Amino acid sequence: MSAVTEGALAAGFPSIPCSEECLLRPGNTNCGGCGMSIGLTMLGRALEEAGEACMMAIPACCGAVTAGAFPTTSYGVPVVNTTFASSAAVASGLAAIRDLNGESGQVVCWAGDGGTYDIGMATLSAAAERDEDILYICYDNEIYGNTGGQRSSATPAGARTTTTPSGKREGKKDIVGIMAAHGIPYTATLSIAHPEDFREKLLRAFGIRGMRFLLIHSPCPTGWKSEPGDSVALVRLAVRSGLFPLLEVFDGERWRLNAEPDGSDPAEYFRRQRRFRPDELDLDAIRAACRARHERLRTLAATFPA
Amino acid sequence: MVEIRIHGRGGQGGVTLAKLVATSRFLTGQSVQAFGLYAAERSGAPVQAFCRFDDAPITNRNLIYEPDHVVVLDPTLIGPGVSTGLKAGGWILLNSGDSPEHFTGLFPHNRVATVDATAIAREYGLGTRSVPIVNTALAGAVARMLSIALEQMLAALEHLGFGGGNVAAASDAFEAMLASDLPARGPDGQGGARVGPAVRAPSFLDGAGVDAPTILTGEWASEQPRRSQFVPPCNHVCPAGNDVQGFLHALADDRADDALEILLRTSPFPATCGRVCPAPCMASCNRIQLDGEVNVRALERYAGDRGRVALVPSGSRPERVAVVGSGPAGLAAAYHLALLGYGVIVYEGGSQLGGLLRSGIPQFRLPADVLDREIGRILDLGVEVVTGVFVNRERLLALARAHDTVLVATGLQEMRALRLGIGDDEEAVEQGIDFLDRVRSGAQERLDGEDVVVVGGGNTAMDAARSAMRLGAESVRVVYRRAREQMPAIREEIDEALEEGVVMDFLTQPVAIHRMAQADGDLGERHLLCRRMELRGTDASGRPSPMEVAGSDFSIPCQRVILALGQSPDLSVFPEGTEIREGAALIGLLETPVFAVGDLATSEGTVAAAIGSGRRAALHIHQTLTGEVVEVGERMRVRSDVDVWHDEVIRAEALRLHLFERAGTDVQGEIGLDRRVTTFDEVHSGLTDPREARRCLSCGVCNECDLCVTYCPEGVLKRVGHDLVFDYAHCKGCGVCVTECPRNVVFMSHL
Amino acid sequence: MALEVVTGNHAAGYALAVAGEANRGARGAACGIYPITPQTEIVERVAGFPFTKGRVVPVESEHSAMAVSMGASLAGARAFTASSSNGLAYMVENIMTAGFYRLPIVMVAVNRTLGPPWNIWADQGDSLMLRDFPWVQLYCSDNQEVADLTLLAFRLAEDRRILLPVLVCMDAFIVSHTQAETDLPEQERVDRYLPELELPHRMRHDVPRTLGGLIWPDVTTSQRFDVDEAMRRVPAVYQECRDAFRNVFGRDPGGVLEAFRTEDAETVLVASATIATTVRDVIEARRARGERLGLVKMRMYRPFPEGELHRACASARRVGVLDRDYAAGIGGVWGQDVRAAFQGHRDDVLVQDYLLGIGGGDVTAESIDRVLDDLRDRDRAGPASWVDLAVGGAGREEVA
Repeated sequence: MSAVTEGALAAGFPSIPCSEECLLRPGNTNCGGCGMSIGLTMLGRALEEAGEACMMAIPACCGAVTAGAFPTTSYGVPVVNTTFASSAAVASGLAAIRDLNGESGQVVCWAGDGGTYDIGMATLSAAAERDEDILYICYDNEIYGNTGGQRSSATPAGARTTTTPSGKREGKKDIVGIMAAHGIPYTATLSIAHPEDFREKLLRAFGIRGMRFLLIHSPCPTGWKSEPGDSVALVRLAVRSGLFPLLEVFDGERWRLNAEPDGSDPAEYFRRQRRFRPDELDLDAIRAACRARHERLRTLAATFPA
Repeated sequence: MVEIRIHGRGGQGGVTLAKLVATSRFLTGQSVQAFGLYAAERSGAPVQAFCRFDDAPITNRNLIYEPDHVVVLDPTLIGPGVSTGLKAGGWILLNSGDSPEHFTGLFPHNRVATVDATAIAREYGLGTRSVPIVNTALAGAVARMLSIALEQMLAALEHLGFGGGNVAAASDAFEAMLASDLPARGPDGQGGARVGPAVRAPSFLDGAGVDAPTILTGEWASEQPRRSQFVPPCNHVCPAGNDVQGFLHALADDRADDALEILLRTSPFPATCGRVCPAPCMASCNRIQLDGEVNVRALERYAGDRGRVALVPSGSRPERVAVVGSGPAGLAAAYHLALLGYGVIVYEGGSQLGGLLRSGIPQFRLPADVLDREIGRILDLGVEVVTGVFVNRERLLALARAHDTVLVATGLQEMRALRLGIGDDEEAVEQGIDFLDRVRSGAQERLDGEDVVVVGGGNTAMDAARSAMRLGAESVRVVYRRAREQMPAIREEIDEALEEGVVMDFLTQPVAIHRMAQADGDLGERHLLCRRMELRGTDASGRPSPMEVAGSDFSIPCQRVILALGQSPDLSVFPEGTEIREGAALIGLLETPVFAVGDLATSEGTVAAAIGSGRRAALHIHQTLTGEVVEVGERMRVRSDVDVWHDEVIRAEALRLHLFERAGTDVQGEIGLDRRVTTFDEVHSGLTDPREARRCLSCGVCNECDLCVTYCPEGVLKRVGHDLVFDYAHCKGCGVCVTECPRNVVFMSHL
Repeated sequence: MALEVVTGNHAAGYALAVAGEANRGARGAACGIYPITPQTEIVERVAGFPFTKGRVVPVESEHSAMAVSMGASLAGARAFTASSSNGLAYMVENIMTAGFYRLPIVMVAVNRTLGPPWNIWADQGDSLMLRDFPWVQLYCSDNQEVADLTLLAFRLAEDRRILLPVLVCMDAFIVSHTQAETDLPEQERVDRYLPELELPHRMRHDVPRTLGGLIWPDVTTSQRFDVDEAMRRVPAVYQECRDAFRNVFGRDPGGVLEAFRTEDAETVLVASATIATTVRDVIEARRARGERLGLVKMRMYRPFPEGELHRACASARRVGVLDRDYAAGIGGVWGQDVRAAFQGHRDDVLVQDYLLGIGGGDVTAESIDRVLDDLRDRDRAGPASWVDLAVGGAGREEVA
């Protein structure tokens, strides 16, 4: 098990080049400090590094609005905005014709948690069951951000949204477990605060055929009611405190844990977002749940290693 | 009917302000509307909201093109555009700390009111730091502006569920709003910008949407990131003036030649300092707060030993400078003067160059070949040498007549003695410097079987003690009157002395040396009578004061006492009454300017300080002779992309230490203990690679880690060459680059 | 060319498949498929077809079936699917999307009653609910028409002047499950009839275009106007496709509508799909009795062929519209359109709407006779009349 390396930061991080014709062009409509923007930028750099072409199917989500008003577009790759539940199905069609014509390039679904955990779940599950050769990336900001901040099944317990004004009672759906249970070739979680791990997983995903599902923990300053500048710091805390494990699952069977919690207290994560009221949270229970989840993941990774 | 248009940014609450104003009128029985102009823009994007109210029922649902009044929520939006369509004589309320008069030129046909709603919102913690929610404050100001009673606006706040800070903000703004005098009426209606009839737009069927323009999101920003630079503590404290961060940065990239080049800008002795410097840079290293200091000394040695740099003087000048003394200060001055093109002649009283570097530091710490190599590099610049000439007062005057300037760097020649009472045994007591000199030159016989006591706590004491061990002494004790923590010697050298078997008596003051007379008339065994001390209060130097403990005397048997109590300058070379100030010519006594440098002037007592003094003197001489000011890498170079250079030391608290992975200090190898105590071979073998340099946090100085580039959500932050370039036309001012800069180089600047 | 006895579904499935196969030299064909009675046989036939360059994606819902077909179409392939009733209702969002994306997808709809309660028999209420979407709608009366119009639909949809999806409809069971002699054209002729597809706005890496993003009102208006222009061109382009069809297959697939004995007709019935065939027989019979009756069989519903209808009804004073559907709150769907078509053009025509065969009830000659009798006796038009209503309700105007 390798810890996510950050020691290199002191002396020079390998800066991945980003050309002018990048995936996400400057001048998009996303909020300042948007985690999805960072994810798109990193995706663009990884594609460029790998020399991979890409076309994207984006369902209703902030990513759909990113382009700005037609004929303006902030995307440097071909994009189709699909209906909310349909990205994995539209991508299946795109991938089918790509393959029939012997063409290369990634067909990427870029979807929020609403379009993945909720309305797009059946479509996604079916595409996974068919093992379509698509790269499905869910940027999970744990909220319906595009509509102004309603709860989704990715919203964590305790978070206040406009539809859970006194805090959500239920916890997050285990989307990773669900996707891994499909037995797809590759399921992984990514954090924008761990760019090297992020990059490695994208490059790995590019090299795998079949359905690949990546989950990005994507901060939303507007919905999380946090400082825009804190975006990366928050999701880093989520990894370090054990709230968001970084892991990979191969063929739904072999597990790898990419980072161990470093003992950071989840309380700090909650304190820095006004969607939470730390005094209402059972922090001891949350800490215990984090420990238990990692213990289970460690067991899985040790018993069924990648 | 009254119609109001509100300009704000996404997330600032413009629509809510419209609703507040409308509600305040609704509660008085008027017919009202409030609405926003909704589009895709998110937090920070310029947006508009509207409200209208009237005594009669309002049926119109059109947009408002010619408002009666305008409110601007964000100071950065203030510009001629916000008054588009505004009726003449109408109010324009600005969120600004400036007075209304400041804006009357911008809005000549309107009445201007201002209030610093941002400050009020921040005061009451409304919104986030970067996006303060100013709408409730402005609601109070709108009430004032439209002569609505504050109570009516507060009623609206209550009606809509606003309490606490919002009410206070509205009340404060009501009181704080400033308004201009009523200006002369201008022509009615300045012409609204109506959206024209729909024209045939491009269709995606004919390829539109390719290379399309993008939004200039830089207009959304209320703050922008800027690049800054601070002074790292290591650079700040380096007595030699080395750019420590700079050479470590080069070494981190495995560029030993570049690292050496950076060091040679300030010091001719990197390989030497890399062995013997007490390294205040390491003591001040911010990395101590994380996992231990960076081993700068060993890295400097690495650069000095491994780097290759060809030095060429910058030109040739006619002036000739005499340097008296070839210690580090004199040679450093000679080095810089030679680089500047001067003819330099070094006068040394002894037979070899190097001063205390050669005579006072044992080979096991500084091998002669290392010193020779570094001195050779200076001589290769064309420096002439005259040895065996002791410069006294008369000779100094002669030198002054024969040269354009003279620089005296004779160091500390007077050694401090210790009065050891009536039983003082001259033959058994000697100065450590003399002892070390004999050891170095091979003149010192072995000390087999001797019990040696060394008095003092500095590096000379350690060097003498360790040398005595190597010469076969039966025992070596160091007697020091303060505690270990106060010992001025390099910490590592104390450790190594202890490892080699040296015993240390801390808090011990020698009082007298005497012999126990024997019955048979033999003089008896020699003893050093000592007294225990304790630390109480502090002395003038700030160190704890040692005070005697009554009745604590004890004796240490010994055959030899070596004094290492420090030295003081010998000023007899100068005419009577000369005032010695570093860097200042000794004016009035001689026609030729004469400078005193190094320990002679400063008594700082370290090689690094002497090097710094020599360099400063050289530059001063240059300035005196030519009037030209030369910057030769004093402390650091300010990066070309820096917007603001803070000439202040950056402390660990200002860094984001959580962004670094912990990794302990890399230490160099050393020879075995048995070899150490029997030979004068160099103890340390140096680092095998420069990886340790990557531990440098590069405090306050961009080292191009490019985390900011990696994390910039917009991809508008780029590294162009070595420069960090922001695309301010698109930067939304989110601040991620600031939060993610581990070394506090990027900061937010209010627009 | 050889006749075979096959079901309407068989004919539709065959036509979809050979049309897809005809694009094998270009970017191929694909479809998302999902079963629903009574169209299931269509997608089964497609799934069993040995495509040279095609992929059939069996998905988890009609919604995704259309989504897969959209993806394939966006990638430049010939794309199609089929559905029915609640399946169409579930697919609605993506049906609309395919239209506004101007994707030349062909979908066969087997008209089945919308539930609940569950009724699997013929009713046009499902496809007619899509009437305001940017889709061409064609209605078939028999198996041959199903095969022919399905093939024609691709040529029409893919025409650069049109670029709109086409819905080809047939009545549940009455056509879909009825075996009848049908000419299923061989691949070679189909290849000749359907040129290789080159979608102008297909997604390609060298053209980083964003489709379907945000749009302002003015551009929206403009894009809607583009659709309207394409719709207006449909009848003329249809005629070209029809002529080409005749040339390739030696058979007339029929015009946007078919006027039968309308040249001097005083009374004209407007009908579609299988009901039209029954009407035709009744009119033949009553013509023999001297009544000046005519029939307009509607093949095209969208765009609504208003001009052709005016011409066909030039001599008519009474027009009866037969609706196998019910539009809640107003009556029949076809009736509204026919009435609107005359509005402002002819003020001397009585247009009366009749609802019959709802939920798959058999529309017999007797039913048509009752309609004609009612129409003959009317002096003014009234609300839509329920024909063959089993249980009468008070206050209802019905044709008993």
